[in-house]
Amino acid sequence: MPNQMYKRHDRSDIFIHWFNAACWILLLLTGVGLIQHSAIDPFGSGYPEALRAMVGGGGNLLTIHEGIGLLWILGFVFYLIVNFKGAKFFLSEVFPVSPERDVPWLFKKMALMTIGPKVLKDPTLPDQGYYNMGQKVFAQASVVGGIVIAVTGIIMWLSDRSLGAEAVGIVSWSIFLHFIGVGLVFAGLLVHIYMAAISPEERPGFMSMFTGVVPGDYAKHHHRLWWEKIKTENK
Amino acid sequence: MSDSKQKYSRRDFFKASGLIAAGAVGGPTVLGGLRKAEAAAPEVAPMESHFSACDMCFNKCGLIARSENGVVTKLDPNPKFLKSRGMLCARGNAGINQVYDPDRLKYPLLRVGERGEGKWKRISWDEALDLAASKMEEVRKKYLPCGHLFSAGTDLQSQFVGRFAEVYGSFNVTSHESLCLVSNNRAFLDTFGEVPHPDVLNSKYIIMAGANRFEALVTPDSMDLMTTMRENGCKLVTLDPRYTKTAALSDEWYPIKPGTDMVFMLALAHVIVGEKLYDAQWIEEKTYGIEQLAEHVKQYTPEFAAEECGIPAKAIARIAREIAAAAPAAMIYPGRRSSDYEDSTQIRRAFAIVNGLLGNWDRPGGLLAARAVGLKGVQYDAPWYDDNHYDRVDADKVPMMFEHEGSFLLTRDAVLADDPYEVRGWLVYKTNPMGTAPNRKKTIEMMNKMDFVTVVDIAMSDTAWYADLVLPSQSYLERADPCSGLQGSSACACVIKRDPVIDPLYESRACFDVMKGLAERMDLGEFFDFTIPEYREKQLAGLPKAEEVLDRDGVYYNPSKVYGIYEGKVYKTLSKKVELYNQRYEQMGIDPLPVYTPPTKVPANQFRLVIGRNALVTQSSTANNELLHEFVPTNTLWLNPQAAQKLNIADGDVVQVSSSVGTQELKAEVTDKIRTDTVYMLTGFNTLSTRQHLAHNNGASIADILEGDIDAITGNAALHTTFVTVTRKVA
Amino acid sequence: MAQQLAMVIDATKCIDCKGCVAACKVANNVPEGQWRNWIKQDEGTPTPGVLPTAKTRFQPGACMHCENPTCVDACPTGATYKDKETGAVIINDALCIGCGNCIPACPYNARFRNAVKRKADKCNYCPERRAHGLLPACVDTCPTKARVFGDINDPESEAGRLFRKNKAKLVQVAAKTDTKPNMYYIGDPGLQDWAGEAVIPASMIAMKESAPFIKGIVGLSGLGVLAMLSRQLFVSSDENKENDDA
Repeated sequence: MPNQMYKRHDRSDIFIHWFNAACWILLLLTGVGLIQHSAIDPFGSGYPEALRAMVGGGGNLLTIHEGIGLLWILGFVFYLIVNFKGAKFFLSEVFPVSPERDVPWLFKKMALMTIGPKVLKDPTLPDQGYYNMGQKVFAQASVVGGIVIAVTGIIMWLSDRSLGAEAVGIVSWSIFLHFIGVGLVFAGLLVHIYMAAISPEERPGFMSMFTGVVPGDYAKHHHRLWWEKIKTENK
Repeated sequence: MSDSKQKYSRRDFFKASGLIAAGAVGGPTVLGGLRKAEAAAPEVAPMESHFSACDMCFNKCGLIARSENGVVTKLDPNPKFLKSRGMLCARGNAGINQVYDPDRLKYPLLRVGERGEGKWKRISWDEALDLAASKMEEVRKKYLPCGHLFSAGTDLQSQFVGRFAEVYGSFNVTSHESLCLVSNNRAFLDTFGEVPHPDVLNSKYIIMAGANRFEALVTPDSMDLMTTMRENGCKLVTLDPRYTKTAALSDEWYPIKPGTDMVFMLALAHVIVGEKLYDAQWIEEKTYGIEQLAEHVKQYTPEFAAEECGIPAKAIARIAREIAAAAPAAMIYPGRRSSDYEDSTQIRRAFAIVNGLLGNWDRPGGLLAARAVGLKGVQYDAPWYDDNHYDRVDADKVPMMFEHEGSFLLTRDAVLADDPYEVRGWLVYKTNPMGTAPNRKKTIEMMNKMDFVTVVDIAMSDTAWYADLVLPSQSYLERADPCSGLQGSSACACVIKRDPVIDPLYESRACFDVMKGLAERMDLGEFFDFTIPEYREKQLAGLPKAEEVLDRDGVYYNPSKVYGIYEGKVYKTLSKKVELYNQRYEQMGIDPLPVYTPPTKVPANQFRLVIGRNALVTQSSTANNELLHEFVPTNTLWLNPQAAQKLNIADGDVVQVSSSVGTQELKAEVTDKIRTDTVYMLTGFNTLSTRQHLAHNNGASIADILEGDIDAITGNAALHTTFVTVTRKVA
Repeated sequence: MAQQLAMVIDATKCIDCKGCVAACKVANNVPEGQWRNWIKQDEGTPTPGVLPTAKTRFQPGACMHCENPTCVDACPTGATYKDKETGAVIINDALCIGCGNCIPACPYNARFRNAVKRKADKCNYCPERRAHGLLPACVDTCPTKARVFGDINDPESEAGRLFRKNKAKLVQVAAKTDTKPNMYYIGDPGLQDWAGEAVIPASMIAMKESAPFIKGIVGLSGLGVLAMLSRQLFVSSDENKENDDA
């Protein structure tokens, strides 16, 4: 039996994933350049200085960052209009967590990936659904973090356009939340990038972000519950 | 600055700052909306600079107007202008707000409702001038040329109103000065033969009475006073019922009982003469009447004065000795506004006499003579009208009125009484008696008496509000003005001029053009058959380089002797000397030496209302100035805490202030900076005109409360003789 | 030595005429009700006679372009900074979003949120005027020339000359937070206890405090990735074999 391919992602899903990825990288690069404070900036003041000099000043960098940020938000609005069902499906798959299956999976997986199977009495991983728990954790963080980042970003963007002096507290806390949100999502993003793009075992998953489909044995091995479900549906 | 204009073009700027290169780095099309660059140097906008002279008060400080694309953005001091010591005060800076005042008069307006009702119709300039000219012709025919009154404020174009009045045939011209300073001028003129310029800068001891030089800015005196105190250790003694900023910065301050300055001065004279603290030789050579004075001041002992003015006798005697020791580089500061009491000229005579005793005339640190700057008068032969009245309408009411200033209050009484003759036409330029003259109700009556009133002004003043025809005049930054000679004490004698900095706003026209337009319609065109530059050429005929220097520096100096001008010269008095004892007064039956009469006692439960200045307000002319309004949003009634407590008035309470002529309401400012028997408020608030929206229905109008007594010698208004009751307004 | 632009003010020359305040307002288009500079008044008590030495004092002031600007510390983006070249504390309008952090951080209350621009605002020594070779508006207009502006590190400048000459008796307004202000008073400026404390907003403190944790979490995540990567590269083949064997 040839390795049957199963459809995993819609074209709009693929688009929004890579659109988001591109925006995030650019926003991260420009955003870090907007922080210039010895107690905060991640790589010292050299990076913001260099970046600002490159674009002709901090003001320009801010404009660029704001522009990309707005584009990113518009991109999501566009996606929601085009594929609202897909978004709903995504959220319904990402947020429910099974304590008996998902939680052990996460800890076992972390141990397996970093130290090896020897530390575990029983290295077999519980079966996973459409998303495994690692993907869920990152997706949850991305959704919540993304909303926080977008909302606080809009507040900051409005600050010197339409907000009055009474709003400075909200604006200032928005800066903090924006920073925290990005920091936490970025921490997850590193793992996500490794797992998806560098680690060989997820290679078919990575490819599916271009093709939209995964091979059956991959689905069976990695997302058994989903594989079983679609297999029965397909019959 | 190489000439009067200084332009930076954008290209020069980019060249200078290297921004073209910087722009290329950050300038690909994607970044179209981005800023060119963020260079260390800020963006330099193109800027034009023009010299002018300030018009926010009478000082005429030299300024440089900065403009961008035909809009004035900033007024800066002209550093070469010595009279102002290169400064521009808050009002000077707020000149922009006057020019761009949204409430400014924009086009000719004809009254269509009742007087003061505020109903107007916009008409064209031709209609307006035709109408005004025909009305003025009518008045002249019916009431003779003197049946028309002309009033003009302190302005470089006011001379054209005077010229117009003369060729029209009226002697009746009043200036703002009779509401201000003529008593003081009279007193010093009648002592020294001319009005002095105090050499504050070089003085070592100054007594400041009836003046508030750090708040009522006079150039260069205000600045020089601080310089001499700080750098020469000059001592300043201030007498003022209020703890003004001048008082606060003085070495000594005495809250003198209002109206008793004369007895203080006479007591100084008593000590100086009695103890022979004067320069006997100087007094012998230069003055007339030391014996009479010595006899006269015997009665005015420091003890007697102390009883009257409330300043300890010991302090008076000490101050007399100190100032005499500092003489001749010492002075009783002559002051400026002197409209206080019915004997104001005599009060100021006492100031002048002590200065005479100090021997400070024509000497460093003393009182300086006027210096001619070399401007020529522009002559004309005014027509003579046989069929006319013989004299001014306010003539012969007081013995020594200045003919060219007149007396506004006496004129008003004469108009109201039709005595000695009827006056039915009035043309007003840039002065606002309705807002500033005491007893506003009488001014309204006077207005109602008129057949036709034309007001030429930049704003809808209260006077304009009651007029028949209102003509929008140009501000000082929009017009060319004749040259004017100014003397700044020992600092300079100089010439200034004005040229337009911006195009005239709206339909405004210069006063000169209005007068010319009227004259042409009345067959008097020949007297206005010139332009301002032509007029200036005649004025400057004796100063060949002046025009060029004026264009280069904004001011022209004609250096001349500062001190010792009177060496070998006689004084312009009857005795040809400094008249401690005034011979002409004797001949006219006026006290030749000032005789002290105690001021009327403040009635029980009343207060003496005093007026005063503030560096942020020029009477009613700044009433609607948005920037100055931020500093002085309203006027308040200064009330001593003790008095306030008795009246159960708390700071900020709204109080009613009533005199025999009017009642006004304003907030009380309870402060120990004023005597218990005195209250004070600032002028320029509660305008009748709604087209001064910042001042209308805001604070109190002092013109409504002041009673309008006059100085018996000059007819000058006496502004400190009003008693008021103060009551808390019951909500 | 780098420049340090500063004001050396003879407070005893101030007559409280407000010329400087008006000039600043016009030159910098400061909105109604807001001010970049001020004249503080030490009222004193009106005492008739010879006035006590501790009499009314007027104290012209504005942003003091401090050596230790707490406002700069409150700004997360460096939109406000101490210019290395001139020593002036500058606000980069283009980068400032008006979050208001710097406003309570100034113990002198020199900052405000410009109601029109909606950004932080304060005295900047009139750079537009200086570019045209003019003095800051307040200094230029001052009637008694109480305000003197210039580079105090330049002994040739008027400010530098005054600074050196009066070094021993120069007075600075002491705030509860020592920011080392660059506004020096010759002569008694009166009130010296009006300045408050630099207050860095809680949100900014939270950001500063949380930064190490955020860096830590990102670091941990990075370490995890590194561990996985090294396992992938060096360990995986053996263990996979073992697994296969089992």
